[in-house]
Amino acid sequence: MPAVTFDQVTVAVETDHAPEPKVLLNGVNLRLEEKRIGVIGANGSGKSTLLRLVNGLVQPTAGTVSVDGDDTVRAVRKVRRNVGFVFTDPLSQLVMPTGREDVELSLRRSVKNGAERRNQAEAALERLGLLHLADQSIYQLSGGERQLMALAAVLAVNPAVLVLDEPSTLLDLRNRQLLRRTLSGLDQQIIMSTHDLDLALEMDRVLVIEQGEVAFDGGPAEAVAAYRALCVDSLQAQGPASR
Amino acid sequence: MRGHGFLLANYVPGNSPIHRAPLALKFLLVFGCGLASFIIVDWRVSLAVLGGLTGLFLLTGAGLKRLWAAVRPLAAVLLVIGLFQWWQLGAPTGARIVLNILVCVVAASLLTATTPVQRLLDGVVKAATPFRRFGADPERFALTIGIMLRSIPYIAGTFADVRDSARARGLERNPRALILPVFITSVAFARQTGEALAARGLGDAEDEAPGRV
Repeated sequence: MPAVTFDQVTVAVETDHAPEPKVLLNGVNLRLEEKRIGVIGANGSGKSTLLRLVNGLVQPTAGTVSVDGDDTVRAVRKVRRNVGFVFTDPLSQLVMPTGREDVELSLRRSVKNGAERRNQAEAALERLGLLHLADQSIYQLSGGERQLMALAAVLAVNPAVLVLDEPSTLLDLRNRQLLRRTLSGLDQQIIMSTHDLDLALEMDRVLVIEQGEVAFDGGPAEAVAAYRALCVDSLQAQGPASR
Repeated sequence: MRGHGFLLANYVPGNSPIHRAPLALKFLLVFGCGLASFIIVDWRVSLAVLGGLTGLFLLTGAGLKRLWAAVRPLAAVLLVIGLFQWWQLGAPTGARIVLNILVCVVAASLLTATTPVQRLLDGVVKAATPFRRFGADPERFALTIGIMLRSIPYIAGTFADVRDSARARGLERNPRALILPVFITSVAFARQTGEALAARGLGDAEDEAPGRV
């Protein structure tokens, strides 16, 4: 498996309402080598920022992130060839009218021959059982089908690492199961944030992110327990709910 | 987001003479119709051209229903334009302007209904290749066309959603309640699309670094 390394990574952004930059991630050190890595935490805890660093969509304010030794700032193009990214909302990811066209778009840079590109696109769709939906408008697909189509477009270029930012958040139970089954059959290293704790329990390693820091890093069962405890503490600190 | 209208017909697989015609010829047809809409001064000529193009469209096997689906989103706007021009310049001019717009829409639909998007993009890349010597990136030209084709129905769908939300709150007569959310959603969509393209390494120049947070 490729190694994704975070070395003293801090991400801070300027905001309109505060004189000091807002710290999204603070001094994170990680070496991620397991095949399935889950990232859990509350909304706004820094999960998405952590994932976006891996693909170079976000640059560290301090520290470095590297994928298999390639710095995500200096070698961003190489990193993006090796790291596929799936967003929460597939509609913002699919940029072509149909799934086939979107998968072909992924291949345009690497496969110049049109016929070869079509063949490779069909093979990519076939692998996820989506070929029968290839020519349908993306608006006519269900949420799960769209998410799988976005996944097919990313996997078409065969990245070594697959990063998924809450891929099941917009899906119903059936489509979540479909996505889980698909992900479990992939060869890629997977780094995925999720609010689905059942899905997190299937990972090899789980990080709990809390207020921009890694609050727990370890096995899935322990991580989920730690996250639940954090949530309870946080609710108790807020006091009783008003009636 | 609910169903999306589209101003051009989507590709329909087929083997009609229009499907088999060279892409350059179809591009020329669209270009010619666009040019003709400035030149034609008689509404009867516009009607004849529209009739001819509609005939060609039906020849593709795409069907009247698809053509109507492409024209329908424009119907209200065309009605307003036609009535305004009739009032200002008379019925023949109003009819000519409306018919000329329809000529352009049907010609463009003829192209998109008979050409797969990837072939269309390949054609754009080929046409833009001579501009490479001036620093242009032909793939970016193609990507721009592709994103345009995708964005029109998205924004149309956003408008429909926003209109429903405004109706539900009794604000359907307030232009601010309609325009502002569509504008904000469109900007957010543009940002998300840019981010998605960057994540896939599409549209980057060879030495380009990503934007900071």
